[in-house]
Amino acid sequence: MRAAIAHLVRRHPEGGTVTLVVLISLTFAIVTGGSWLSTGNLQSLSQLTAVLAIMAFGEAIVIATGQIDISVGSVSGIGALTFLGLAPVVGSGFGLVAALLFGVLIGGINGVFVAFLGIPSLLVTLGTLFLFQGIGYAVTSGFSFAASNVVRKQFIYNGFGGGTVAGVNTGVIWALTILVVLQLAVFEMPVGNRLLAIGGDAASSFSRGVNVTRIKFGVFVVSGVLAALSGALDAAFIGYADGSFGAGMELSAIAAAVLGGCHLAGGRISLIGTLLGAFILRGIQSFLIILGVQPQWYILVVGLIVVLAGLADRTLTRLVLKR
Amino acid sequence: MITGSDGQSRAAGSPKKPLISIKNVGLSYGNFQALTDVSVDFYQGELVGLVGDNGAGKTTLIRIISGIIPPTSGEVYFDGERIIKFHPKKAIDLGLECIQQAIGLCDNLSVGRNYFLGREPVRRILGLPFLDKKKIREASAKVVHDFGLRDSVDVDDEIALLSGGEKQTFKIARAVTFRNRVIIMDEPTNHLSVRERTRVNELAVQLKQQGLLVIYITHDIFQIHRIADRIVILENGRKVTDVPRDAMSAEALEGIIRDGSRTSTKEPKVS
Repeated sequence: MRAAIAHLVRRHPEGGTVTLVVLISLTFAIVTGGSWLSTGNLQSLSQLTAVLAIMAFGEAIVIATGQIDISVGSVSGIGALTFLGLAPVVGSGFGLVAALLFGVLIGGINGVFVAFLGIPSLLVTLGTLFLFQGIGYAVTSGFSFAASNVVRKQFIYNGFGGGTVAGVNTGVIWALTILVVLQLAVFEMPVGNRLLAIGGDAASSFSRGVNVTRIKFGVFVVSGVLAALSGALDAAFIGYADGSFGAGMELSAIAAAVLGGCHLAGGRISLIGTLLGAFILRGIQSFLIILGVQPQWYILVVGLIVVLAGLADRTLTRLVLKR
Repeated sequence: MITGSDGQSRAAGSPKKPLISIKNVGLSYGNFQALTDVSVDFYQGELVGLVGDNGAGKTTLIRIISGIIPPTSGEVYFDGERIIKFHPKKAIDLGLECIQQAIGLCDNLSVGRNYFLGREPVRRILGLPFLDKKKIREASAKVVHDFGLRDSVDVDDEIALLSGGEKQTFKIARAVTFRNRVIIMDEPTNHLSVRERTRVNELAVQLKQQGLLVIYITHDIFQIHRIADRIVILENGRKVTDVPRDAMSAEALEGIIRDGSRTSTKEPKVS
């Protein structure tokens, strides 16, 4: 029996998260008398989940190599500000491209320091977290960028978070597309095999001819560009952004990844689990809002969940690695 | 320095050019001199025992040969071509496979994925490289079977589930089944049972007979003296002995190592 469970967990690390999703969905639906499952709430929940998931996917890829990226909150803020700041001037198409380029740039800075200079990723990305949050505040200096009516009619704006297709926010479609692409890259392609190998044992991967430096650099660029996209998608949905945009999101992104079965030590991740992790966190958030609980309590709940997820993770790892 | 009677020792009856040639190689970590002016040639179809006490520089030398670290001085030639850029990928592409004690396998990957790590077989779909999982599974399952690992080993299982001996056997199997020209074995029989050890040594001899160059690193002179064609002894980062097996007895060689080790210093860990 235990061997069977171990086998199941080994092959499907997101199994626990799926169970959790079903359990909390049922609980929340019953406690709120069905309003948690209303179309309106599910629509808003899916948009919120999508933007968090996109950021968390990048985080998961970084975690796969045994690193961490805590700058994603600031990067999403820069992405949002660039998108909404430039869209009225150069159009939303160029605005979006600029936002993504900033994501590449910040991710690249992180990557150079971590991969080429060998500085711990926690330190580097803590630095860029503050640096770009500061820049975000400085650029807006108390003002906020809002999407004009012209911008709101533009195709790109609607296609990237500002509009819906059949009632579903376009951000959700992007999240699912990115999930499919990353799922294929990580689990079905040589690059993914090497990525996971580095997280498992960097020295062994290097001895097998894997270009450890290049892959470590690459994951930070991917994380940067996804965080910027996440910020742009969310900004298009909300319609305005100020200097505090994205603040604190890095914690939710890390929590979603951990909750979804990504091991912080590296080498084992689940992207489907990460999506579900984002759903759980956003689900709890919306549940607390429906109950009328002050939103500040959400932070406390996230903290608790991360600690519990870490504990469960340890137990499961032990179970899996027993011969 | 003690050398063979012909001055330049080599495998019996092979008046050919060396496959790997190390010329005056030195390596220092800051002030610490791990290797000093080491020159040694390795020939195809030869089983060379690279022997020395802990910290003698054996592992450092093979790390240079397998491209993990570049030497700070001297030259390395492979098949007559001077190696300028040192990278494991380059060594692997040249047909050099190194079986190391502590590294080589990623615990989090499946047996099959470890087998092909760094040279994954792909199927192209719309020009994109996708892992050929069928080939990965079949090829690694064959190796697991041919090298006598447990029948219960599933190539989709993480390699962490194998025992130490099984992992070592698997690393050797991987090195052997890819077409290679040089196999370097770094203390290959550590952590192995007596029977597994005999098997590994038989394998080393078989590889040599197939025409490969086998460099076998050990500190057990008696074990290597039985199977090697030539013994090279390192001490404090210098080559002190390079003789054909028949030129000296195992006891005499052991004496050289024992006397030398009194002055040896510990080699720092390379990260």
